[in-house]
Amino acid sequence: MAQSNRVNGKKVTARVAVVAAGVVSPLGFGLTETLDSLRNSRDCVSPVRRFSVEQCRCKTAGQIPDERLLAGRNDAPRSRRRLHRASHMMIQALNELLTQQPQFKPELTVIGTTSGGMSYGEDYYRSVHQAGKLRHAPTWIANYPAQKPVIDAQEAFGISSPCQVIANACASGTNAIGHAFECVRSGRYKRVLAGGYDALSEMVFVGFDSLQASTPDKCRPFDRNRTGMVLGEGAALLALENLDLAQQRGAPVLAEIIGYGISTDNFHITQPDPSGIGPQQAMERALHSAEISARDVDYINAHGTATTFNDAAEGKAISSLFNGVPVSSTKGMMGHSLGAAGAIEAIFCLLALQHQLLPPNINFATLDDNLDLNIVANEARPAVLHTALSNSFGFGGTNASILMRRSHRRQDYGGPVEA
Amino acid sequence: MSLAIAGMGWVTPLGSGIDSVWKRLLQGHEASATTISESVSDRRYTTFRVPESALTGFAHSRLRRASVISRFAAAAGLEALHNAGVKLDSQSAERTALIFAISNGGVIYTKRFYRDILEAGAQSASPLLFPETVFNASASHLAAILGITGASYTLVGDGAVGVAAIKMAEDMMVDEALDYCLLVGAEEVDWLLCDAYRRWRLLRSTPPIEPFSKQRRGMILGEGAGAILFAREGPITVERTHAGGFFTKRAQAVEILTAILRDLGHSEIDLVISSANGTFVDQAEHAALEEILPDVLVYTGKPALGESVGAAALWQVILAAQALQQRELPPVLHADSAVSVRLPHARTEIPQARQAIVLGCGVNQQAAGLRLAIR
Repeated sequence: MAQSNRVNGKKVTARVAVVAAGVVSPLGFGLTETLDSLRNSRDCVSPVRRFSVEQCRCKTAGQIPDERLLAGRNDAPRSRRRLHRASHMMIQALNELLTQQPQFKPELTVIGTTSGGMSYGEDYYRSVHQAGKLRHAPTWIANYPAQKPVIDAQEAFGISSPCQVIANACASGTNAIGHAFECVRSGRYKRVLAGGYDALSEMVFVGFDSLQASTPDKCRPFDRNRTGMVLGEGAALLALENLDLAQQRGAPVLAEIIGYGISTDNFHITQPDPSGIGPQQAMERALHSAEISARDVDYINAHGTATTFNDAAEGKAISSLFNGVPVSSTKGMMGHSLGAAGAIEAIFCLLALQHQLLPPNINFATLDDNLDLNIVANEARPAVLHTALSNSFGFGGTNASILMRRSHRRQDYGGPVEA
Repeated sequence: MSLAIAGMGWVTPLGSGIDSVWKRLLQGHEASATTISESVSDRRYTTFRVPESALTGFAHSRLRRASVISRFAAAAGLEALHNAGVKLDSQSAERTALIFAISNGGVIYTKRFYRDILEAGAQSASPLLFPETVFNASASHLAAILGITGASYTLVGDGAVGVAAIKMAEDMMVDEALDYCLLVGAEEVDWLLCDAYRRWRLLRSTPPIEPFSKQRRGMILGEGAGAILFAREGPITVERTHAGGFFTKRAQAVEILTAILRDLGHSEIDLVISSANGTFVDQAEHAALEEILPDVLVYTGKPALGESVGAAALWQVILAAQALQQRELPPVLHADSAVSVRLPHARTEIPQARQAIVLGCGVNQQAAGLRLAIR
């Protein structure tokens, strides 16, 4: 029987292992391709072709090619052919995860997203509005809800656990992993599937453009000349398990999740408090939750959208807590995948810990004069990493941070230590 | 770990205020039907909307530009706190989590935002509307009004999402750093939603909702919000929550509902608050009840209030809590007396009632349930 203690009032019964992971993003299909893109600092942002961006300032996004994502769809059962792209992303990510751990049966699934099958909602409304054909309307409507891609992926692999779909804007993916972590750590669950997904849609793209949050230029996080974000898409999943149970059954421990912090700053619906108090509280709470100090953190995967306000507030918060820790935002490489971002960036942290490298902050020239950060500029670097922090912040002033620790059993991590 | 209800609030098509709406339900009132139309179509739909009087006197600067769903949610949330006698200050707000349950979210502004793009191009897109289209907009408004600086989550799902949110609250309240968890379920009605549900053959053109009818004529959409403040101590507790799962075919709903009832119904259950809404859900619940609890008294408030999707399960829990506290049930409206489920066709006293099950079965593949008990 596991013993429990309390950290800041939270019941701690178990350590939480990541025993498998799967990812689909503009950086690649699967962990191996993703690692290769990180190592090679690949810029995977390209001109948008899914819808017209003629009237938008921003013309680019990180996109997953349909020819690969939907390959084989025509050979699939009819019901599978109708699914939204987001469902296919989730299916691919879950397939990779289950290839590593076929016996992983979660008791709960917690997934973050911001817009579900939004492009099907657009198809439907466009047809209604323009008196177009509505023959496919039932398919669009049935595949629009945010929980549908989660159910589709679970159904594809015979997983029947109940799902909680968190829609906390751009923090959703990190919130999902954080809540799943707390569920396992408290001892209430043994195994939880967690992650996030989002697929590019016209409405969301135009929305960020209308706010002038997205850029006609490259996405340059923390740069003095940054002009905004570009959007991205993707899906990522992590299999979380009670560490003792995972080790008892001989499952590899890819990493441990050791802390989670959440805060709400209530400053403005789209802008962070310029003092950085929201991100600062989320990071502080994650450190308290992990019972470690800021000195123990070796790498920070920043939210780093490259908007003026986010990077200023986040940069201020990071430098108030940490002293010279390497920081990168990977959004320059693949864009901001919203509800998927936290989950995909958790995978980047996992790969960074496993392969002892610092993911790059590309398109970077000169640090913002008002920031004091140690940016991993433009190229991936080898480093000795034990603990990584990942940040995600969203509309509505919602902020989330998770802390991940490298597995110290040599047989557990995926490759040779490089530094 | 059990959750206790400390306070409740709701905004419904029958008005606002727990006691006032409960009284109207006991009197057998049904919400007034309102017809809504859209310029792009000749088709009109009938809905149960929240009357303007329900929000009279309620205003907040944060909600100036917000959609009605955020107003419903804020009004219900504040009523729940008032009902509990809880006034949040900076310290207690830090020890309070907020969980929202929604299904379609701010659909009115979402439609308007996208319509502007279609009609006038991307350059005409409104930067003021876009943030209100985000699922967690309502939660962020309420968090700001209440000064909540800790955990705030928005869960998205179907009619069962409210129960999933209560399950999440149960998991979060293990954390002793929390004293309260405020749950709010909210939904707003729009022509587009009605049209979508009609195309899915789930909507009826005009009232009534006929619960448990074999004809499955469909539902009428309702709107509003329900809010429950959960604490650790109180006379009514959520004894057990069953997180349920999902069904991929409608016919499979009965299996999961049966499993939920089997798990929750092992002790003596006095009543079930059903999610019957005139669709396939009714037959699934009927079959599951017949197998596990064939003699139990069953109530559904949807014929009176409409199907409010994201708010629905919170309303059901409020109805269950009211029934246990007040020891009576309102009449189920428009139910055929030949229906084999045991329904209260008139206002019915239940003096011995101690335990109730809330069944949440949504039309988008999710089902869950919970058991409430009164001390």
